[in-house]
Amino acid sequence: MYLLRIAVRNLFRRRTRTLVIGGILAIAVVFFLLMESLMIAMMDTAFENVIDFETPHIEVGLADFFDEADNRRTLPLNKAFSMDGEIEDELKQVPGFEAKTAVLDFSAEFIAGRYDFPVQVRAIEPDTFGDVFRHEQYLVEGSFVEPGEPGVVIGSELARYFQLAAGDFFTLRFQDREGSFNTMEGEVKGIISTPHHQVNLGTVFAARDQAVPRLRLDDDAVHRWMIRLEDRGLAQAGAQHLASALVNPQFEVRSYRDASEMLVSMELWGYIETYFILGLFLMVGIIGIIAAVILSALERVEEIGMMKALGLREREIVGVFLFEGGGIGVVGGLIGCAVGAVAVGLFAAYGFDMGYFMDIDALAAVPMGDTLYGAWSLRSFAFIFAVVVLAALVSSVIPSYWASRKDPIEAIQHR
Amino acid sequence: MPLLELESVTKIYRQGDIEVRALDNVDLEVSEGEFTTIFGPSGCGKTTLLNLVGALDRPTSGTIRFQGRSIGGMTRAEQALHRRHHIGFIFQSHNLIPVLTAYENVEFALQVAKQNGRHADGDRVADILRRVGLGDMLNRRPNALSGGQMQRVAVARALVKEPKLVLADEPTANLDSDTSREVLEIMVRMNQELNTTFIFSTHDPMVMEYAKRVVEIRDGRIARDERKV
Repeated sequence: MYLLRIAVRNLFRRRTRTLVIGGILAIAVVFFLLMESLMIAMMDTAFENVIDFETPHIEVGLADFFDEADNRRTLPLNKAFSMDGEIEDELKQVPGFEAKTAVLDFSAEFIAGRYDFPVQVRAIEPDTFGDVFRHEQYLVEGSFVEPGEPGVVIGSELARYFQLAAGDFFTLRFQDREGSFNTMEGEVKGIISTPHHQVNLGTVFAARDQAVPRLRLDDDAVHRWMIRLEDRGLAQAGAQHLASALVNPQFEVRSYRDASEMLVSMELWGYIETYFILGLFLMVGIIGIIAAVILSALERVEEIGMMKALGLREREIVGVFLFEGGGIGVVGGLIGCAVGAVAVGLFAAYGFDMGYFMDIDALAAVPMGDTLYGAWSLRSFAFIFAVVVLAALVSSVIPSYWASRKDPIEAIQHR
Repeated sequence: MPLLELESVTKIYRQGDIEVRALDNVDLEVSEGEFTTIFGPSGCGKTTLLNLVGALDRPTSGTIRFQGRSIGGMTRAEQALHRRHHIGFIFQSHNLIPVLTAYENVEFALQVAKQNGRHADGDRVADILRRVGLGDMLNRRPNALSGGQMQRVAVARALVKEPKLVLADEPTANLDSDTSREVLEIMVRMNQELNTTFIFSTHDPMVMEYAKRVVEIRDGRIARDERKV
């Protein structure tokens, strides 16, 4: 305890130095906490939007469908399977199963007036679609798709592009299974405005029973079973469970993460970038701590000599300087966490308009709304505090040993 | 058995190609309770002798025994523990820890000796500071004390752990003559009250008035060894 007391008093005595170096570490902490908060919020929002509006926790389709869909611009119409087939019972056995629905996706041109726009039509089972997806909750005009009824629901950005309102007419032009051009015409039943830009712009929803005859597909043809689970955390294990349970090797099971390669890679690169910049800040802080410990040792050579004369062993003298180096880390960590908590709190309360630093078109590629709200992560606070203190301690080791190895006679006489 | 025995102790320093024989074949015995002055001009080897006796340095040849145990062959950690338990040091420049008060500086020495300070005896610290005349300055930091007061704290720090031997290297060199006398009188009193053995080096003839034994060193050899009656 007495070594700790000396270390604390010295930190206080050299408080300007302590605060300057601690401040650099605090900047690293605040930067990390804000970036973590941003990344967690961005990825949480993006993945939740993918799950709610694009691909739920698990999807099952023919492996050939996924292959072609991944590699071609148009969706492969002929890679459909019968929804009344063998696998339906297996889906309910997935741990955490909550609901399922089937969809049939195809590419089309959306035409209104003189203009056309390429879209993906999602032909849905209206009775079960709402159990898995959340689109209906974001209806801003008209009504949602009903079974046996013609008409489509479109996104708000597509509606704005064509200046359409519920009740206006549209035409969908597409190729059927034989390759012949066909059309669907009718009224826009409703308009949705979701937090998913691509859904708002490029997806059209129609009842599957209305689309199938025009595509010349079998009545029960679908492309994918979509499954919602109780919790996002169950998705990966659930997908593996289902993949091993399915007997037919033609089927492929994907979790929402498998279906969101871009997001997963964005998440990875986001963290790489965050840790790289954190590393730069820490390096500056570490250099500062090394300099501080060396300066402190040089200023206190006689004190080191006296400690040796009093009978302190080298490792105990190392302890004094390690406490001091670590103390700078604790000061930096505490200041950083306090300022970071305020910053993250403001970010979480008021949000941040991503349009300020991200091009709106680029934003459209990420499935999230314009305003992002910071996420709290106590784990991040604990992690960065531990990292900063550990970095401070590690960087103090060599200068502390250097100080402790001073010859006692030379130190006492300050030669 | 004497407290301290030096047998043919030689210490040679090398400065490049030049050899400096700081101590040359010194034999000396010091008994418990003695108040000994090592006297001699600057550079004669007084400080070297104290450093060797205090296990801060090792002899080039010869043997130094403390209570019959050789200290020359100890490891650095063993030397540290030897100093911790048996030796008190007083230096010319008191070397107090500036961030600690007078009380804490003395307490620190006691805590070190008592193995990480679990049972530092606060009464003993206050008592020794009162004995050196600093009973009302316990909470002052070194920068709020005069040179004489700082040296008294250094004396208290050396004595608080009740060491067998106190080594004082020119303890009055930075003090005026009145303050020097005060500090020396304190050391004499402590020697009498606690039976602590004192060896101090000086080149000041006034200091020798207080010694019971004077060992004069010239050119690294003992030139005179007198006990006062």
